[in-house]
Amino acid sequence: MENIYLPKLAEIKEIIQETADTKTIRLTIDGGSIDFLPGQFGEFSFIGEGESTFGLSSSPLRKEYFEFSFRSSGRATTGINSLNQGYKIAFRGPYGNYFDTSKMKGKDLVFVGGGIGMAPVKSIMEYCFDERDDYGKITVLYGARSVGDLLYKGIFDEWKKYKNTDVIITVDPGGETPDWTGKIGFVPTILEQLPLKGENSVAIVCGPPIMIKFALKSLEEKMGFDKGNIITTLENRMKCGLGKCGRCNVGSVYVCKDGPVFTAKELESLPNDF
Amino acid sequence: MEEKYFEISAENLKKFVERIIADNFEVIAPIDKDGDTFYGKISRFEEANLDILLPKMSYKEYLLPKTETLFEYSFSGVNADIKDGLEAVAGANQKRVIFGGRPCDAGAGPIMEKVFNWDYKDEFFNERFKNLTIVSIACEKPDNYCFCTEMQLSPESSYGSDILLKKAGTQYFAVVTSEKGLNLINPYMNFFKETTKAQVPADKDWKKIFEIERTKSFLDKNFEHNYFQDRFLSCIGCGVCTYTCPTCHCFDIQDEGNLKEGRRIRNWDSCQFGIFTLHTSGHNPRVTQGDRYRQRLMHKFKIYSEKFDKYLCVGCGRCSRNCPEDIDIKEVAKDLADMA
Repeated sequence: MENIYLPKLAEIKEIIQETADTKTIRLTIDGGSIDFLPGQFGEFSFIGEGESTFGLSSSPLRKEYFEFSFRSSGRATTGINSLNQGYKIAFRGPYGNYFDTSKMKGKDLVFVGGGIGMAPVKSIMEYCFDERDDYGKITVLYGARSVGDLLYKGIFDEWKKYKNTDVIITVDPGGETPDWTGKIGFVPTILEQLPLKGENSVAIVCGPPIMIKFALKSLEEKMGFDKGNIITTLENRMKCGLGKCGRCNVGSVYVCKDGPVFTAKELESLPNDF
Repeated sequence: MEEKYFEISAENLKKFVERIIADNFEVIAPIDKDGDTFYGKISRFEEANLDILLPKMSYKEYLLPKTETLFEYSFSGVNADIKDGLEAVAGANQKRVIFGGRPCDAGAGPIMEKVFNWDYKDEFFNERFKNLTIVSIACEKPDNYCFCTEMQLSPESSYGSDILLKKAGTQYFAVVTSEKGLNLINPYMNFFKETTKAQVPADKDWKKIFEIERTKSFLDKNFEHNYFQDRFLSCIGCGVCTYTCPTCHCFDIQDEGNLKEGRRIRNWDSCQFGIFTLHTSGHNPRVTQGDRYRQRLMHKFKIYSEKFDKYLCVGCGRCSRNCPEDIDIKEVAKDLADMA
């Protein structure tokens, strides 16, 4: 008999303080990463305080570790936030569906992320970087409220080094610092200024609901992306991640099992329950 | 297993129950407590209240306890020692018999089993479910809150029971539907007399007041309908409907303990609570009580039936009987069917 709720212990290999209240933690189980696919999520816990759900944010092809990014806000995340390198947290997963890379091969890719919503985008984006020759032009648009709210600042330069890749970083108006050299403007506004076409392209969008709403509209109506080629993730509250505890459903769809990855076309058929 | 049929006198039924108690079976039956009736352990046959239509709560807690240990933990340095909670569940319910429950409660087990076994298998539920033996008594007089017939069962349904007893005058007919049921009575066969299906009184022609398929077809098309917001304005979100429901199975997972030792538990939860779906960001997909009651209706009469078969409801009416605002789910389901 297998206990599906039993976590594994994962050792904290590296901690990256991303912003004042967010961190990326790199974990190992048995000395390395776990088998997963970009877009999947897991249940992370500080044992004694509880579990929280996060998307995996590293490329599954990087075998030395797997990582997730989180904001310290509740009991479990405050607990995880308090730990140093070498300590262990508990992990269950990976769960859920994933970005189907077979439908992205040979196409131009647009990655759009807002705030901490960049985390699941980063996983699929770095996966594509790791197999760079399989894809056409890559455009990355990442924005946050302010310079201080941008995650992954330490690796923007690394992203820019890949061939045929444009990386555009923006902050909301008023969020810039005197030495800011990136764009200033909301993500959907900057998105509309980019020379993108829906033809032979796939867009992956993740961020706050309001950003997703306007970004999807721009991609569909202004740039002619097919709804089936715009992919996003839903972030409903979960407990089990296994399709049993009954809270993440949107209509008949269970985000933990049928998602978290959905195309804009699939979202269109769901009731307004997310 | 092919059904088997037996006759047993009221006197022998009493003797049978006394004998299995003497042989160390834990017999759970409706018992009177604090002016109400609940399922509980009996030590003598007379303690069972077999006249009550339905105890206040179902016997769901014997399949899905209100609180259950998923694992225990203890720390030494950075290393945690984790003790699997399943070990304590192995063999649970092997010597436990639910006696004198009703067909609606019996129907709930196989309905929940599907949820706990699509893809990932929940062995906590499975271990309890496979071992529990259920001896139900057919209802003679359902009350106005009952609607099991509408929910594809009936007051005389044997679905989910290992043995269904049907009263006929001063004796009972026992319909044995499973090996588990047969194994229970086999050592006590002197109390039972095998008979044929033809001898068992035929089920009455129970009438329905609405068709549940029509309720579903309304829900299929009317997620945004005003009915939900208007009708459930009176709902105070206490969640009693979900706690007394034999099929509601939604749960929460919490840690209980300190930094040295403790346990991870799962507890009954309720879709009627605002916090149930609240995001860390403050966003909540289900803001109003109307949104939340709609979710309950959707889950019971649409979502479950699309994923599996049947419905996530056995029509016991407990949610209505216990509702402080007298929201009658049978009337609601009928309203929806009428609007379809």
